[in-house]
Amino acid sequence: MSDNIYLPKLGRVAFIKDEVVGERAIKTFRVEAADGGDLFEHECGQCAMLSIFGRGESMISIASSPLIKEYKQFSIMRVGRVSTAFHDLAVGDVIGIRGPYGNNFPIDDWRGKNLYFIGGGCGLAPIWPLITTAVAQRADFKNITVFYGGRTSRDIMYRAELEKLRESVDVHLSIDKAEEGWDGYCGFVPAAVMDKDPVPDNSVAITCGPPIMIKFVIQNLNQLGFADDQIYTTIENKMKCGLGKCGRCNVGKDYVCVKGPVYSWAVLKNLPEEY
Amino acid sequence: MEKILDKKRIDDWIAALNDWEVHAPALEDGIWTYKPVSGAARLDHPNTRQSPKGFTFPQREVYFSFEQIKGEPPKLTQILPKETRHVVFGVRPCDGKGVPRMDKVFTDHVEDTYYTTRRKNVAYVGLACNKPPSATCFCLSVGGSPVSTDGLDVQLTDLGDRYFVKAVTETGKALMKAAGSLLTEPAAADQKQVKQVHTEAVAYPQRKINDPDGAPAKLKVSFNSPLWDEMARACIGCGICTFLCPTCHCFDINDEVHSKAPLQGQRVRTWDNCQFPDFTMHSSGHNPRENTGARLRQRVNHKFQYFHENFGMHQCTGCGRCVSECPVGIDIVAVVNKVTENVG
Repeated sequence: MSDNIYLPKLGRVAFIKDEVVGERAIKTFRVEAADGGDLFEHECGQCAMLSIFGRGESMISIASSPLIKEYKQFSIMRVGRVSTAFHDLAVGDVIGIRGPYGNNFPIDDWRGKNLYFIGGGCGLAPIWPLITTAVAQRADFKNITVFYGGRTSRDIMYRAELEKLRESVDVHLSIDKAEEGWDGYCGFVPAAVMDKDPVPDNSVAITCGPPIMIKFVIQNLNQLGFADDQIYTTIENKMKCGLGKCGRCNVGKDYVCVKGPVYSWAVLKNLPEEY
Repeated sequence: MEKILDKKRIDDWIAALNDWEVHAPALEDGIWTYKPVSGAARLDHPNTRQSPKGFTFPQREVYFSFEQIKGEPPKLTQILPKETRHVVFGVRPCDGKGVPRMDKVFTDHVEDTYYTTRRKNVAYVGLACNKPPSATCFCLSVGGSPVSTDGLDVQLTDLGDRYFVKAVTETGKALMKAAGSLLTEPAAADQKQVKQVHTEAVAYPQRKINDPDGAPAKLKVSFNSPLWDEMARACIGCGICTFLCPTCHCFDINDEVHSKAPLQGQRVRTWDNCQFPDFTMHSSGHNPRENTGARLRQRVNHKFQYFHENFGMHQCTGCGRCVSECPVGIDIVAVVNKVTENVG
């Protein structure tokens, strides 16, 4: 049965957490192989096709470090048919999972460098495996800085994990508009980055978030002296197969599900803006 | 292997193909359609309305069924295509050309079990076009020919009261052997006539893509051309162009639910279409190809740029169906010519 590229494995939901509640609700799920054992090996930046039988499939970034073998983590915002069905799941429910799909962040090329992570909204999830892997291998990297912003303080995901991260890396949280009791930055993420003056020397910046945020983050990084090949992002497009066949996620000649989702800006800036 | 078949005996050949399910074009309600045949087959069709791609890539393909009783884990049952062998008679050269292109899509990167299972069980007996059957034909512009054998297992050429029968593949030879004494040795006059017919076939004037070799590079620099919106203005997004295309392969995957308690249903692949607005629409509402211009550009660029960059060939075989059947007259030949003229 393993030859059938469309047949998912069964995964058991072992853990569910409300990250963000309300209109832009995000829940985190940990999924383990339903029959015991491991689901599959993955690399930082890859995705998996998750499904709820009877509702359908959806491509979701794997949000756990490859160093964690027992489960795969996914943080899913409730937006469409499948993600809404995910929000209705209970611990113990069994879902479908196939993957991993796509390329990955070249973390091995970045050892010995400064890492700047710049995330917005649910865009923290796709870069979270990279952040947590780098922190687990802290001695391999120089300065690690995480910028992360939500629209409001209630939109900040991985709140407890980010606080814990402060023990080993610089964490700068931001919200769009001032709120009482907020001691972080107030304003948009691209401005929060400029506020701290990241240094381009021997550095890589990795950003993920809403397209408009990514656009201005990259502009600002360029202005700070980051070369295009020092800036990485991960993009999304609607996907159905994950295998370069169903024909919809292409940006130019390449299918994002195969050649992406991770791109350096040096590559992405030369592709048609169809994402 | 080259033979001659008396046209009146084609039904006997079909009857001799016991191990195969034979399909041939039939005229039904004024539309030429591939239908299973046991006896009489007629090969006097211009071309079928639908391409034969459905033999390897059916409009609806079930991947697996699922069943779940509340509180229990779901049970999945994989559904693979039956290993029935099909032979399709009367495939035109443009549709034959579609076959290696679909092979690329479904075997590149990873192999699609559903496609490859169907593919290894289907054989194509092609029919050369003595002259272009439609005013919208343009196979010569895209590396094809009215007498091409690409993707075919056997090629028939109409010589009046008989067919010149040429094996293209080993499978084709086996099909011809099954005909036994129905197939006879060609005489020198037959050889001469088939050459003559083929020479004349390629000499018939066809519509032309002006610079097919230069199209990939020219389209690449024309991505932001205002012509896309202009030429797509009439498009109603019906998608007939892609459904009838012998190389369009885009698909959707959905769950069909037949019973809610216990949950029973199937995960199904169906043809999808890059001309539909929701084809690329994110669940957030953001759509990377949000207007008809962007979607026409995707269809044209996929065929004349992206596929060429990936596989070194155009993903268009010049069958002309998308031109003749478009309800608003969008013409891929005219679009490519217009966008690429005066470029580079």
